[in-house]
Amino acid sequence: MERREEEQQKRDDSRFNQTLKNVQGFLKGRSIPGKVLLTRRPDPTPEPISPTYHRSLSENDAGRNERSENPVEVNDFEFSSSSCGEGKLRELYWQVEDHNSSKKQDNTYAGKLRSNSSSGEQLAKQVQNLKIGGRSSDYARVMKFNKVLSETTVILDHATSVQATYSSMKASVLLSSLFWLILFQPSLPVEKLRELAWSGVPHYMRPDVWRLLLGYAPPNSDRREAVLRRKRLEYLESVGQFYDLPDSERSDDEINMLRQIAVDCPRTVPDVSFFQQAQVQKSLERILYTWAIRHPASGYVQGINDLVTPFLVIFLSEYLEGDVDSWSMSDLSAAKVSDVEADCYWCLTKLLDGMQDHYTFAQPGIQRLVFKLKELVRRIDEPVARHMEEQGLEFLQFAFRWYNCLLIREIPFSLINRLWDTYLAEGDALPDFLVYIYASFLLTWSDELKKLDFQEMVMFLQHLPTQTWTDQELEMVLSRAYMWHSMFNNSPNHLAS
Amino acid sequence: MGSSSGQPEFDYLFKVLLIGDSGVGKSSLLLSFTSNTFDDLSPTIGVDFKVKYLTIGEKKLKLAIWDTAGQERFRTLTSSYYRGAQGIIMVYDVTRRETFTNLSDIWAKEIDLYSTNQDCIKMLVGNKVDKESERAVSKKEGIDFARVYGCLFLECSAKTRVNVEQCFEELVLKILETPSLTAEGSSGGKKNIFKQNPAHTSNASSSYCCSS
Repeated sequence: MERREEEQQKRDDSRFNQTLKNVQGFLKGRSIPGKVLLTRRPDPTPEPISPTYHRSLSENDAGRNERSENPVEVNDFEFSSSSCGEGKLRELYWQVEDHNSSKKQDNTYAGKLRSNSSSGEQLAKQVQNLKIGGRSSDYARVMKFNKVLSETTVILDHATSVQATYSSMKASVLLSSLFWLILFQPSLPVEKLRELAWSGVPHYMRPDVWRLLLGYAPPNSDRREAVLRRKRLEYLESVGQFYDLPDSERSDDEINMLRQIAVDCPRTVPDVSFFQQAQVQKSLERILYTWAIRHPASGYVQGINDLVTPFLVIFLSEYLEGDVDSWSMSDLSAAKVSDVEADCYWCLTKLLDGMQDHYTFAQPGIQRLVFKLKELVRRIDEPVARHMEEQGLEFLQFAFRWYNCLLIREIPFSLINRLWDTYLAEGDALPDFLVYIYASFLLTWSDELKKLDFQEMVMFLQHLPTQTWTDQELEMVLSRAYMWHSMFNNSPNHLAS
Repeated sequence: MGSSSGQPEFDYLFKVLLIGDSGVGKSSLLLSFTSNTFDDLSPTIGVDFKVKYLTIGEKKLKLAIWDTAGQERFRTLTSSYYRGAQGIIMVYDVTRRETFTNLSDIWAKEIDLYSTNQDCIKMLVGNKVDKESERAVSKKEGIDFARVYGCLFLECSAKTRVNVEQCFEELVLKILETPSLTAEGSSGGKKNIFKQNPAHTSNASSSYCCSS
């Protein structure tokens, strides 16, 4: 009996290593096709994963170093990942499936996928050619790139239909195992995690992945728990030191700031009922006030309250199951609430460390990015830029809020997590990459904008028709941003002229 | 600007600005006025914009209303919106005294600094009178303030819609009684209203050219 287990363990290990090699091979280089080849279909399965799976993972969480989860056997679990760049995935899927001899495999299918992958490489080459031979105008380059892109898309679509039986569920299982492979390494390769996370993180892994991407949890797994414990304690002490005080021990400015935060917490994401719970609002208040006191250069600025909400939802998802609207904070012990708040606090801190001048006096960081956005839009879509200018529309009139709240106000709350996967994966490069995301976001409505006058444009841009958006539209925005970034970022004149 | 062809669908276009502390209900007041609804709203970031058509007497009016963020940090951004406004509504919350005292400490000074229009009509509005039991500012104090600063005054509730329309209508009536403002707002002058040009705010005198 024991021997069989041992053998099983060995087999698992060798499979693990084999897949790891493949993953590492994949992660070297080929970054462009994965992010660009984006023709994913909407996933019919809703985002929350089945409770069974969730539980098995929390157990796993406790004994981090036990590598009990065999990436192949994960197949038996059902969960959704509406969040993965499918081009990248398909390629990965074929790679690992190839090595996975224990699985029944349709060779024709694998072959077709292989040819599909080579078309991906071809695209990468074409992209490079475009970059090198980029003498033509930016606008023409974009057009040419789009053409290449749509040709490839057709091939991919064909491959997608061939693999009808291999649903995106399997692809997401694969993605999931790739994450596990990275997460379980004793010294975690953060850059690889970034690359993988960019295209979306399976929902149940977000707490761990986000903590790592933000550098709140250390890459070294031996130190991780101790560091988190210390940081959570530190937060608790800060709350005691700064928040749990009578007003008589606060300065006038502090009283005003706390009052402002208290006014804003009840009106944070008002369309999601979970945030109407008094306890949730109290948690928000503690996090925000503690953050504001410890960041006196900016203090609390409206909109930062929005930025805490994705963290709160993700870190609570470690303890609460089901739909967010069915959650109740009162189900949690005070200790757990404190841990969740601490994680939110530190992640907010890390996120905003890279954008300090976004919230200081006159918000120069945002002003600068709004200016860059205007310039980039002019490079990419001159007709729209000209139309906006002719109508007297200032980018500040709509894009200020985008940067100030990182788009939380502009798209459905259910899509924010996916957007944040990419934000956090960008790390220090995020502020500059935001320019590309927001250009891509704005130009989603390029045709519409050209038909509107000033007044219609302002109103349109302040209430964009994204209510029915799914991951698909968001993925399109992100992949186009990635494409433009790879085209323009190395172009020295890109913000000149 | 705007609809480039044919006759304009209004006789006057006026620019109106909403200012006041964060959380006093500026956006709610505007929403209540433009779409007859009351909703929980997120804090305004930067500025928001809405349009409302009114008919007063035989005159067809179009109001372009800018709703500004109340928090201090956004003031550099919001200050450029005073330019060219024919009406400014100062809002406070009758249940929070500091939002009233800040009117003289902050908001009246902002108007002096940034408004380019000497004849611009100001209106003081005390919001949230539906919370009568929590009232912290008396009606008399509002009236006294209005007298000192030479503005119109009303108390209202964006929630119950009491006096909401009156706030805007009284303001507009007063604008219509002021020749320099109606000259600016008539169809020919409407271009100025939309063109934001914060770089030239110091050159205030130019906006008076049509009032003579």
